[in-house]
Amino acid sequence: MFRSALGKTLGFVGYTIQYGCVAHCAFEYIGEFVACSGPSMEPTITSHDVVFSERLSRHLCRIENGDIVIAKNPFDPHMNICKRVIGLEGDKVCTSGPSDIFKTHQYVPKGHVWLEGDNLRNSTDSRSYGPVPYALIRGRVCLKLWPLHHVGALNQSPTGRVVKRSD
Amino acid sequence: MFRSALGKTLGFVGYTIQYGCVAHCAFEYIGEFVACSGPSMEPTITSHDVVFSERLSRHLCRIENGDIVIAKSPFDPHMNICKRVIGLEGDKVCTSGPSDIFKTHQYVPKGHVWLEGDNLRNSTDSRSYGPVPYALIRGRVCLKLWPLHHVGAINQSPTGRVVKRSD
Repeated sequence: MFRSALGKTLGFVGYTIQYGCVAHCAFEYIGEFVACSGPSMEPTITSHDVVFSERLSRHLCRIENGDIVIAKNPFDPHMNICKRVIGLEGDKVCTSGPSDIFKTHQYVPKGHVWLEGDNLRNSTDSRSYGPVPYALIRGRVCLKLWPLHHVGALNQSPTGRVVKRSD
Repeated sequence: MFRSALGKTLGFVGYTIQYGCVAHCAFEYIGEFVACSGPSMEPTITSHDVVFSERLSRHLCRIENGDIVIAKSPFDPHMNICKRVIGLEGDKVCTSGPSDIFKTHQYVPKGHVWLEGDNLRNSTDSRSYGPVPYALIRGRVCLKLWPLHHVGAINQSPTGRVVKRSD
């Protein structure tokens, strides 16, 4: 009686661990659903929108300029940030604002990316904390899933600051 | 004939995926074996040593000053680095060398750690590339497994540069 209950419990725990691991690997290597909060990506993504973030581009190193990415916050390992990739390693990014008289530029170091929010006036991004290591990127946002009347692909950058590459 | 072969193949693929996911989660959440290369951690760890790096401390945020960690290189997302944690966020670290007349210091920003190799003369670390985001840390080295005559715990820092915390 006791042995069969123990056997069933262990079997149940074993199945739970197995399928938990499979689900974890699916979220790790395929994609995950993300609920966004904050105003830094308006109007492209507004607070409480739900998006789908795919992992394949990140693992295959196919993140490109103009992509919206989910990354770990460099200043808080438990928080994530959602920004647009303005420049990849080696790109020359403009670090001055539109109202500055003298334009300043910076080259993105190897292994890093330059991230900016679409809502430039209300976004803390690489303009304040510098380039972000590529390894902190979790995934690329490819679909908006909520609200339902906005389901579909995401818009291009409205700021015109994305570095254009010739290749 | 064909159906049974297809069924067996799919069953085999299914089992492989299942156990692959379980193994991946074991390496992700328990620990992994790491073969080190390079001179930057001599004499504590020499090239071709094999160590065991546990993941629990990193996930539970229990990395402390003096721990040796494996982290993703900030300049190459495909490479890992093995260094000792000299300071955590908020600590004051000495950024000048022993031969400098004027001592300079820096505070480690929030969400970052200051890493240095034990072989100070032959190590590229935070003294050259600055503090590293905590989120890049993969695990804490807790055991040396090879060579066999050195199996056991890892030694304390020989450099005396680890920041002592009062708490």
